[in-house]
Amino acid sequence: MRNFALFIMLSLLAATTSSCMGLRQINELAIVSAVGLDVGEKPGSVKLSAQIMRPADVRGQTGAPSGGTGEPIYSVSAEGDSIFDAIRNLGRFTSRRVYWAHNFLIVMHENYARRGIGDMVDFFTRNRELRMNTWVAVTPDSPDELISTITGIEVVPGEAVDRLFRYNMVTGLAVGSNMMNLEEQFLSSSAQPVIAKLQLMPRGISNKKPEEHGSLKQVELTGAAAFREDRMVGWLSPEETRGLLFFVHDYLSGVEPVSCPNNGSMATLEFKQARLSVYPSVRDKEPEFRIRLSTEADIVENGCGISLAAYRRELEGELSDALRAKIVAVLKKAQKDYRTDILKLGDRLRNRYPIEWSRLRGRWTDAFSEAEMKVEVKTTIKSTALRTSRRDIH
Amino acid sequence: MPAIRELLLEAFQPSLKDNEALVDAILGSSADLKKRKFALGGDTAVSGLLYYVAGLADSKVVELILRALVVQYRESHREKEGPETADDIVTGLLSNASAKSCSKAEEAITSVLTGDTLVMIEGVGEAIVVVSRGWEDRSIEEPVAENNVRGPRDGFTESIRTNTAHVRRRLRDPRLRFDEMVVGERSKTDVNIAYIEDLVKEGLVEEVKRRIGRIRIDAVLESSYIEELIEDEPLSPLNTVQNTERPDKVASALLEGRVAIFIDNTPSVLLVPTFFWQYIQASDDYYNHYWVGTFYRIVRYVALIISLVLPSIYVMLISFHHEMIPTSLALTIASGREVVPFPVLLEALLMELAFELMREAGIRMPKPIGQAVSIVGSLIIGQAAVQAGIVSPFMVIIVAITGISSFAIPSYSSSLAIRIIRFPLLIASGTLGLLGFATVFFALMLHALSIRSFGESYLAPASPFRARDQRDMVLRMPMWMLDGRPNFAQDEDRIGGRQRPKPPTPTEKG
Repeated sequence: MRNFALFIMLSLLAATTSSCMGLRQINELAIVSAVGLDVGEKPGSVKLSAQIMRPADVRGQTGAPSGGTGEPIYSVSAEGDSIFDAIRNLGRFTSRRVYWAHNFLIVMHENYARRGIGDMVDFFTRNRELRMNTWVAVTPDSPDELISTITGIEVVPGEAVDRLFRYNMVTGLAVGSNMMNLEEQFLSSSAQPVIAKLQLMPRGISNKKPEEHGSLKQVELTGAAAFREDRMVGWLSPEETRGLLFFVHDYLSGVEPVSCPNNGSMATLEFKQARLSVYPSVRDKEPEFRIRLSTEADIVENGCGISLAAYRRELEGELSDALRAKIVAVLKKAQKDYRTDILKLGDRLRNRYPIEWSRLRGRWTDAFSEAEMKVEVKTTIKSTALRTSRRDIH
Repeated sequence: MPAIRELLLEAFQPSLKDNEALVDAILGSSADLKKRKFALGGDTAVSGLLYYVAGLADSKVVELILRALVVQYRESHREKEGPETADDIVTGLLSNASAKSCSKAEEAITSVLTGDTLVMIEGVGEAIVVVSRGWEDRSIEEPVAENNVRGPRDGFTESIRTNTAHVRRRLRDPRLRFDEMVVGERSKTDVNIAYIEDLVKEGLVEEVKRRIGRIRIDAVLESSYIEELIEDEPLSPLNTVQNTERPDKVASALLEGRVAIFIDNTPSVLLVPTFFWQYIQASDDYYNHYWVGTFYRIVRYVALIISLVLPSIYVMLISFHHEMIPTSLALTIASGREVVPFPVLLEALLMELAFELMREAGIRMPKPIGQAVSIVGSLIIGQAAVQAGIVSPFMVIIVAITGISSFAIPSYSSSLAIRIIRFPLLIASGTLGLLGFATVFFALMLHALSIRSFGESYLAPASPFRARDQRDMVLRMPMWMLDGRPNFAQDEDRIGGRQRPKPPTPTEKG
């Protein structure tokens, strides 16, 4: 009985002394769905903009009378000497506590990225509220504008970008960079960060003024930004990015138009299960890479007007050339223009030849940019599909 | 005037006057106590006296006794002189099924108050007790709290003899025993302890008798009186004694080597030892196909978990761990809560209280008013409160699901216990978050693990783990696989081996 009383007293004490510590109702939070980082007006300062969801307007009427029927998001920006300082300054005018755990996206301005992302990687991995699966992107446009643009079909723009990233495999034109793999590349000595590119493009058609085609700006996910250490060094075009994706993803599928063997029109091939194998070697203390891409393909659109069954070989050759061109393009960009190992080739060398790697490590940037690359592409067209030629219609 | 206790110990005398004075002194004058004078064999010289309680004693039986004593005595005792012994009258005269002589006042008085007839004759040194019990009874009905779709529908009634007969009809086993005890200084309630002699756990019957024998109480009006006086864990909110109104449940418990305690004047029969999981099992599990039985048993386990923790988890997530909710769900909840003026813990407590109020008000109201209560309650709580912005629609859903889940637990008493346990869990989660939830939940777990019911661990066969008994815990295996009794039973084999039915192998003749 005494123990029981003691137990009750202790639990009451725990409940009262804690005074509901950390208690915050979910409706007392300003849930951030996207955050933008830019250089501030003062040199060295940070301008941070946040897209905050307004739950009542995001969900509309859900039974209870909810406040307001305005915009689903509330975008604000603040400046500070550091990221955390800027966040604290957000608190001056946001009536609710800014809550980061549901953040979808961190988008940085090009200038900010060129200045160095070390503080951003540190802050967003150190804070316990933030998730490691937040998408990261770089934009040449203003992050404020990008974040506050109502986009796509989703109510919350951050969610729209989240889905863009998730389904980006369909187009395969941007890297899926999130905090997790950014940090991994950032900390690694044998790989360099590469971050997706977001930009605003006038793609949307206004319902009210349909004659003004493309009057609405939309957020587009395309291409990538290459980094050396913590600084951005340049952009990769969507074509180059696809070349890059072969290196950083295990399997990839995509669509590639090739010219017909008989005339100038196009046939479209869909390659599937593309698998890139890299065979590193070291000759005369210098690294060499043999890169071999093997893929299967289907004909998904035949604009040639003839049965392509007989031209399988030619089409395979054309597809191989097209894919090789992409790989070569990204290799050139990485090796010669930007001199940064965003292809994770250093990883492959280190895994295969750790002793040689330890020697090369110090001068890897130079060694990488001078390394010899051999690119082979092998494609097999598996299916020419049911429809073979246009004559079948008659 | 000597105390009634001393009077009760006195013996009957040959003098009718003395005996009459003795009985009158003990029983006094009571409206329902009937005293009937008669002349033995119509002979006015030998008078007799007969006591019975109107309403308890069957008047037809009393008339039969009188006819034997007044009319038939004269025919059979024409030549004999004077009265004889009580035993002679019982054996030679009375045609009733049960009658005996008795010399002590106490025994005679208890019998009269049970509904028997007390016969005293001038010159006979002992009294005669003729069993004449016969009172109005409730007919056998379907048990209200334990319905089922398939299976027997008879339930226990208030009469202990009818109840034991229900079980005896199901088990014509000569080794089925009903041991008799009487509890209650004033109520003298009959208590029967039922068990199957060669199955029951060794020492269990003695332990039950010891615990019941220790009871000193004025009256036993319901089985819960006994339950609370023989429990292992009197402070625990969990029931360590099962009660049922279903004879088939009692029969199956006896076959498992357990003991049933029948108590007069109540349809609830107690079963010991009891395991927690039994409250989640229903007799329908065994009467339906085993796939169905297993599925609904699992559904009930889910209901148990929901009714115990769902409001706590909701409150905990909403007030502390927002990052654990998927983003879209978080937005939906936040939008529903936008205008709610209360913290979520208070909201939850309010709604739970409203729910308990509705339930409590509905139970004891006459049926038509009970319906009105539920209509008004569901309209106000479900609709108006949300529209007025006092509670969020999500909370209504949570409380409703929790309520329905607690109704899905077959045992009424244990569903109530779980309802009560929910509140400390809820308050701890609302004040300390996951920490509080985990602390209280583990305290509960440790408590449940530590308690016993008549020497058996409460959470057996889950803990201590008994592989053999798992066939009838979460799952309900087919009958041909349930070949063992729980391991505390004396004889563990339930059915012969290889009972699995299969089509006959075709013979060569075809």
